[in-house]
Amino acid sequence: MARYMFTRRDFLAAQLAFASQLFAAPKDSKSPSPDLEKLGSAALAEAKKYKASYCDIRIVRLRDQRVGLRLSPERGTGKTLSVPNVSEDSSFGFGVRVIVNGAWGFASSPIVTPQEIARVTGEAVIIAKANASVQPKPLVLAPVKAYRDRWETPHDKDPFAVPIGEKLELLRASAEEVKKNSKVFGSSASLNFRSEDKYFASSEGSSIQQLVLQIYGNLDATAVDRDKGLSRTRTYSPTQASAGWEYVPEMNLGENAQRIREEVLEHLAAPPVTAGKKDLVLMPNHLMLTIHESVAHPTELDRSLGYEANYAGTSYITLATIGKRIASEHCTFIGDRTSPRALGTVGYDDDGVKTSQFTIIDKGIFRNFQTTREQAPMVGDKESHGCSQADSWATVPFQRMPNVWLKAGPAETTLDSLISGIDDGVLIDGRGSYSIDQQRYNFQFGGDAFWEIKGGKKRGMISRVSYQARTPDFWQACDGTAGPSYWRQYGTTGDAKGEPTQINSISHGCSPTRFRGINVILTD
Amino acid sequence: MLTNDEAQQLARKVIGLTTFPECEATIRATEQAYTRFANNGITTASLSVTRELSIAVTRDNRTGVNTVNEFDDDSLRAAMRKAEELATIAPPNPERMPPLGQQQYTATHDFDDLTAKARAPEMIPHVKTIIDAAQKQKLVAAGLIERSHQVTAIANKAGLFGFHEASDSQLTTTVRMGDGSSSGWAGQPSTRIKEIDSAKLADTAIGKCLRWKNPQRLDPGNYTVVLEPTAAGDLVRLITPGFSARNTDEGRSFLSKRGGGTLVGEKLFPEYITLRSDPFDFRQPALPWTGDLLPARAMNWIDKGVVSNLTYDRYWAAKTGKEPTGGGGFRSSVGLTMEGGNETLETLIASVERGILITHFWYIRVVNPQTLQQTGLSRDGVFLIENGKITTPLMNFRFLESPVRLLKNTRKLGPAIRVRGLEGGMMIAPALVATDFPLPSISDAI
Repeated sequence: MARYMFTRRDFLAAQLAFASQLFAAPKDSKSPSPDLEKLGSAALAEAKKYKASYCDIRIVRLRDQRVGLRLSPERGTGKTLSVPNVSEDSSFGFGVRVIVNGAWGFASSPIVTPQEIARVTGEAVIIAKANASVQPKPLVLAPVKAYRDRWETPHDKDPFAVPIGEKLELLRASAEEVKKNSKVFGSSASLNFRSEDKYFASSEGSSIQQLVLQIYGNLDATAVDRDKGLSRTRTYSPTQASAGWEYVPEMNLGENAQRIREEVLEHLAAPPVTAGKKDLVLMPNHLMLTIHESVAHPTELDRSLGYEANYAGTSYITLATIGKRIASEHCTFIGDRTSPRALGTVGYDDDGVKTSQFTIIDKGIFRNFQTTREQAPMVGDKESHGCSQADSWATVPFQRMPNVWLKAGPAETTLDSLISGIDDGVLIDGRGSYSIDQQRYNFQFGGDAFWEIKGGKKRGMISRVSYQARTPDFWQACDGTAGPSYWRQYGTTGDAKGEPTQINSISHGCSPTRFRGINVILTD
Repeated sequence: MLTNDEAQQLARKVIGLTTFPECEATIRATEQAYTRFANNGITTASLSVTRELSIAVTRDNRTGVNTVNEFDDDSLRAAMRKAEELATIAPPNPERMPPLGQQQYTATHDFDDLTAKARAPEMIPHVKTIIDAAQKQKLVAAGLIERSHQVTAIANKAGLFGFHEASDSQLTTTVRMGDGSSSGWAGQPSTRIKEIDSAKLADTAIGKCLRWKNPQRLDPGNYTVVLEPTAAGDLVRLITPGFSARNTDEGRSFLSKRGGGTLVGEKLFPEYITLRSDPFDFRQPALPWTGDLLPARAMNWIDKGVVSNLTYDRYWAAKTGKEPTGGGGFRSSVGLTMEGGNETLETLIASVERGILITHFWYIRVVNPQTLQQTGLSRDGVFLIENGKITTPLMNFRFLESPVRLLKNTRKLGPAIRVRGLEGGMMIAPALVATDFPLPSISDAI
């Protein structure tokens, strides 16, 4: 086979496939597009020629629409200027994975034609053969059923079909609501809509077309005290969701604009925390990130086995931890790629595995790692937990976390009952600074807003709060989580892992939860 | 990959599709090849080509931006229609500056043909060198070797055109004891893949791993530290947002004076601290233009301890009557460099009576965006220095410090080399000795 040559002519060549038409399908159709199936078969046939023991192809179209508005004072006049940002991105291409001589090979291209697919499959074979020379033992994949299906994020209204003017008007009204108090220095608001059309075909017989829709929003307020040399922000980040436009009114941007307008000013004047051991009540839009970093990441099997040792790290959880206590009895965590509206919810993962729900930690006892087809045999599992994902057609699928959520406590446990049991503590809301070591032991988290708890009551706002803890100690210190009516799910869109780094979007749900005797520190 | 002529033709074709008075096209194409390894074997390897065209059209100060990667005529026409539609809907931008006309960009020297074309035959031998060396010591190696070839072109309707072709590569490796009781890291970025010295990197990572076995606990506190160049770069590069003229004028930077004004011209740091950007240093890739398309130029930000400049985009420069330095003009993408000193790492260590040697940092996040206080952790080799000698492997620490205070407390500098941190930031940075570095807690991680 010839070495890879991406010719100038190819680069500028007209394409046969026009992405938007290729992925179009009649509503409620359960079958993939025949055109996609024809393109997919070009890779599978080529891989067969080279005696690849496995092949899959993903043909992907990504779209991203961003609409934003910043209100800030004009230098000199103080007049509020409204600075817009309206943009769209799209990206279309395919990636082919093969196993030859027991080793992986991968290659990709933005030119989606049968000829290019055949050529790039050949490139993936060359890479796999080269890799096999430094492969200690051949790969084994857990078995998977063959599926022919079409799946999409449940939605009523395509968010890309909604006029941008309507989106801008919502943002303008929200940002202006924040700026109604002249003491607020600036405000910004944004909406981001993302879609991923994906076709997957594999030599195991699967042919799967999926459409994932995601919506993110943000609204923030900034206040400045020049005399004290201070600036503070307050952010409202509504639940990022896999959903259609019908979700946007549920974000309640206007109502929350009024709240953050007042809270940013209170934050600016808030006294600093007194450092020391304190009890914490962590709200779902804060605790979701603590769950992400200290529960979801350390239960990734590839970390535990050393496959991410050079960058993301390994894990304090090992194979020997299975069946051992790592958290209090209040803590049951579920891995779940099926949760409604969660960012990590899809019909099938990038190994073609139908997604499901599984227990990671059961009442404090570690039960299951997150796995892919390649990893399941490494822990003696008969099938994968469906955690294979690539962030683009140009990147290699590998193990990424599913949505990981904390089961709600009993119905009678309320936010007030959690607070009332605290003599000296802090209630933390929203995301702040977050950092954790490469084995997920030592972490430090800030937040977006903090309230003092004294004598069982929530008091005024305080500032400059972070907490540091050792993961197993922290989760053992959990002595209660509020009931199902308090349970909320929040998403994070920038989860980085792998080399070269890939990004993942997932959601983590929980209720307000209490932790005893945590080390609270004073920051700048 | 795209040539200069082809990029011009594509840009002209795109710009010719609009009747809007302003149009800017940005074309990027990247070919990337890499090989990952772990547990002493190759785990993944990839060859990918990506490309994108970003179209920004403006009429009456209303701008729409559409980025696509389908370049056939029908797709280009559709992409332009979408950009125009967005511009029609978008409100006017009161901070928009008129487009620049033709510019003279000085070529940077960061392209190497061998690096741009490297594949498995050039990369796998490096992987074998590291794995063989690790196996000889009964250790386990993981790592990444990668190279990229990137073309960037910019053009607008007012006659501006720029073209840039760059290559880059890096090899990093983490070597661990089989039982997980120690870890050592080494890495080398280079615009020329032939300069990557895998044997030396293996030696460094293996040496660290063997020396760091059974790290001991040292109480948290403030210590004198010797930061190896990668550790220094991990923190120093994070000072850049503080130099935004707008943030400073608006009271949101460490360079804002209380009550108004800035700290430009004041000597905040020791006289041996000089921080500059130099897009023409061949050791690291840099575009020949800034974020708002002005020609990139070498700039001093801290000159012998004195804050000498802030970054002005064209809008803020016009508002304040200053010379624009370019939006985003003070970033690693235009060659961030901290000048080094005459010491070697060995003499830096020898100069410390009691302190801690740190290889590099991990998971660094800003705690306070105004003071630039950061937190993160040491990783892959931390050692106690007593009476000028490395004596004891230490457990990892969390730090809580700003690059501003770090530079204020810096006492000595080693030679500056190109570094690239785990989280991607690159610069040219020296090893350094700094006092009073806060290490408030211990991590059990190895």
